[in-house]
Amino acid sequence: MEFSKFLTPSVKLNIILTISFSVSVNSFILFPNVNNAFYILFHLTFIYLIFYHYHYYLYVVALVYGILFDILLLNYIGAHLITFLSLLILFALLRKYLNNLSFYKIIFIYFISLIISLLFEQIIANIINDYKFNTLLILNFILISLIIFIPTLFLFTKLDK
Amino acid sequence: MSPKFQIKVFQLSRFLKNFTIVSVITFSFILVFFSKTDYYVIYGIKNLSSSVVVPVTRFISAPVNAFSNIVDEYNQFRSLKFENKILKEEIIRLKKWQTLAIQNSRENKVLKKLLNATDNNLILIKTASLINRNDTIYSKLINLNAGYEDKIKKNMSAINERGLVGKVIDTTAKNSRVILLTDPNLSISVKSISDGIFSLLSGNGDGKYLVSSFVKENKMPRLGDIVVTSGTAQIFPVDLLVGKVAKVEKNRFFVLPFVDFENIDYLQIVTSK
Repeated sequence: MEFSKFLTPSVKLNIILTISFSVSVNSFILFPNVNNAFYILFHLTFIYLIFYHYHYYLYVVALVYGILFDILLLNYIGAHLITFLSLLILFALLRKYLNNLSFYKIIFIYFISLIISLLFEQIIANIINDYKFNTLLILNFILISLIIFIPTLFLFTKLDK
Repeated sequence: MSPKFQIKVFQLSRFLKNFTIVSVITFSFILVFFSKTDYYVIYGIKNLSSSVVVPVTRFISAPVNAFSNIVDEYNQFRSLKFENKILKEEIIRLKKWQTLAIQNSRENKVLKKLLNATDNNLILIKTASLINRNDTIYSKLINLNAGYEDKIKKNMSAINERGLVGKVIDTTAKNSRVILLTDPNLSISVKSISDGIFSLLSGNGDGKYLVSSFVKENKMPRLGDIVVTSGTAQIFPVDLLVGKVAKVEKNRFFVLPFVDFENIDYLQIVTSK
């Protein structure tokens, strides 16, 4: 009983965030798409947390995961950290307008935010770290996003009751 | 008393919120700015991520890893009969080559003595094993269980029994990070063995082939030519095996690396004499 009290939707989403981060930074040769799927799941969870559980502790979460993603995947800090913080700042600024939107519009914005953040990361990595823009990777991300978006949303709404 | 106290708490919470946001953003800017330098904080973060975060993430992702291993073993078991047949044929072929190799080796030793030449130009720094790999998304990086305590330094070459694997890009006390040849951001200067054509190779993005980004005098090597490091950029030692020319186009050519990047367990960190 006490334990279930502790497991609020926000805590559950943070656990999903940690698991998806851990899986996405450890490559599995046989299943490269598993890494990509968990990488997208991380972004979906983070954006969901921003949209429905906005709190200033998310800035610290963005800082920690942004740094770790950058160091483990790119070896230089930049792309993920800037993207996560930009998402948070943008949401904080547009929060008033987003609150008035319908459910379907919010879902559409949620999906668009995901794709833009993935693209934005590649662009920043290209600008700051000279990382070559990988079109194949982006197409793979979009395809996986299309597949996992609805099931993930269903799971999150279930978690949120 | 109560309303005053509430206002104070409210103000403190708002101050804390604003302070957190401002300090996080400021800290982020500083980190991004100093990211490419060997600044103490950046080094500390990298050290922490490789010594603490990587083991934790490996522990959390252990079920997925275990499942991946089971599938791998099942696949190996399925192909056992077929592989056995191929291996038997290969043993017969290799026995013939062995006789020839022993003859050549003796001849080689005699010729080296006559020329007063040394055996090779490499110094072995350390043999290290792979801890984990981050080569699916973004860069193609792997982590090894040896660092600067084992005298590993930046820009040293990583090889295995098949040839050049990559270059050390970062070291901490007990770990080091190697960028693989297949990374599009790593360029290596190479030459073809038969024609001595010099060129620059980098990863193709697909993780399988290396593609030429520059070819000296636009001379294309022949299909099947073996490509080795030229040593001209003075990063990689000379004559390390890289791969075989697999495809030649008008202005570029593709090389299939000798190293099987999906099966890397141990690497040797070497430098030139």
